[in-house]
Amino acid sequence: MPKRKLDPLPSAAFQILLSLAGEDLHGYAIMRQVAEQTDGRMRLGPGTLYSSIATLLEEKFIAEVDERDDPRLGHERRRYYRLTSSGRKLARSEANRLADLLRVARTKKIFRGDYV
Amino acid sequence: MSEKIYVLLLRLYPSHFREQYGDAALQLYRDRARDEKGFLSGLRLWTDLLADLVLSVPRQYLYVQPSFAGVARPHAPGMPSFFVLEGESLPAKQILLGGILSLAFLCVFWISLNSATKHTAQPAIAYRSSPHHSASRQPRALQPPSVPAAKNFAVSELSNLDAAQRRRVIDGAIAKLNEYYVYPDLGRQMAEALAAHQQRGDYNSISDAETFAVVLTTHLREVSHDRHLFVGYNPEENPANHDGPTPTELARYRSDMQRSNCTFEKVEILPRNIGYLKFNEFPDPAICRPTVTAVMKKLNNADAIIFDLRDNHGGDPQMVSLIASYLFNRPTHVNDIYDRRKNSTRQFWTKSPVSGNALADKRAYVLTSSGTFSGAEEFAYDLKMLKRATVVGETTTGGAHPARTHQIDEHFRIRVPEARPINPVSKKNWEGTGVEPDVKVNAADALDTAQTLAEQRHNRH
Repeated sequence: MPKRKLDPLPSAAFQILLSLAGEDLHGYAIMRQVAEQTDGRMRLGPGTLYSSIATLLEEKFIAEVDERDDPRLGHERRRYYRLTSSGRKLARSEANRLADLLRVARTKKIFRGDYV
Repeated sequence: MSEKIYVLLLRLYPSHFREQYGDAALQLYRDRARDEKGFLSGLRLWTDLLADLVLSVPRQYLYVQPSFAGVARPHAPGMPSFFVLEGESLPAKQILLGGILSLAFLCVFWISLNSATKHTAQPAIAYRSSPHHSASRQPRALQPPSVPAAKNFAVSELSNLDAAQRRRVIDGAIAKLNEYYVYPDLGRQMAEALAAHQQRGDYNSISDAETFAVVLTTHLREVSHDRHLFVGYNPEENPANHDGPTPTELARYRSDMQRSNCTFEKVEILPRNIGYLKFNEFPDPAICRPTVTAVMKKLNNADAIIFDLRDNHGGDPQMVSLIASYLFNRPTHVNDIYDRRKNSTRQFWTKSPVSGNALADKRAYVLTSSGTFSGAEEFAYDLKMLKRATVVGETTTGGAHPARTHQIDEHFRIRVPEARPINPVSKKNWEGTGVEPDVKVNAADALDTAQTLAEQRHNRH
């Protein structure tokens, strides 16, 4: 049975949605933000980053806002992306799903100690 | 040299991905290469890049255009209905392809290490910098009414205008309006209005190019109220005196259409076997005819069909008659367009009957909003005049004049309406008035209303 590309939501796509929750970013800034929010565990390469962006754009979870330069990175023009309201909804439902999962994990006592 | 290697490796991606994101991927590589210097950082960068290639190249090749030939099934309303093959559902195939591509890329890597020094000329992929959207996505005859708002552009030297440049743009616009605008008198009046504003010094203080373009558009529309008229500024250079889209814009349009499934957003069978089709443009048939064929085939066994044009901003008149072809059993005269430049009128007929089509005698509904524009209005108007469809929703925008875009200088362009439709039934068109729906409801309620109408008819049969 054919499936939708974002069901289940791949973790790269979820991280991109999260990275855009605060502000509009261009590709490289998204990559850096994702690396930061995952403590360096996820460094999105160009192929993964832009194929995820293409899928999210296609499904209207993010939108291209404009093209401008980033004064911190010289004068090259960069495409900026923004989280749409349906993208925010998707990120929220994924976060809720993970929170539920975490709750189950807690009740099964698979964590050591009670710090989570 | 390592950048050249990455350029070569980018060739492993399919062309649709390279066209769309090749330059952005390379930009990202450059950013990282600049920020991550040193042996260890460089090693980590290349490990990341190679791992990324191995993972993402097979996924790009596995991604196929949505197919609508599968079994029709109802969808939850409001959800997109594209069927795609999901990479993760085919792990064995993905692993195999991944393996083959890894080998291929190792070979390329080896060859490139040996020959990279010989490649000194042009880079392998086209490094077009992406054209600015609002100004450049205009390869179609009928266009959306958007005037770009003055954006907070980083002011570059290009966007600082002096008096001579302003005069050149105004003179160019005046010449094109006089030569081509579909109604010569109105064209002259607009030209005179621009000249009068110029003489009064109304433009003297405008040094920002985008603002200048918006102000000129506003002044032209004050006279003609023609929503197809548009002056645009593009920070990129284009050849002056060029008419129509540039090859870069055409390439971008083609890849946009491929990426967006030719703007067909929803293709569904709703409860009670009502076919539902939402699309947001009437794209060039040369690119999108196969998509239309697949879409209509999917809805072929429906008992009624709803065309949702509430977000549709128009496009190619030939696509309008192509889609209308499915609603008739014989060639049907839907529209005429008078073209001032050619001083001739072209007739538009449907290509009916379409082989295998079962929709020709099924009930049809067209959903409209106040934003339904241009070619989408033609579709609604043509079918309404022929009493072939019930139009449900809001009165449309009211833009009827097909236009061509002319490059005034390297950065400014003007879109001049050059033609006007003459409906074979009413002998009129919808410019300025819009298309009045048969059933007037808020756009947000149009789908529910059309569904109820279709179901009522269904129950009576």
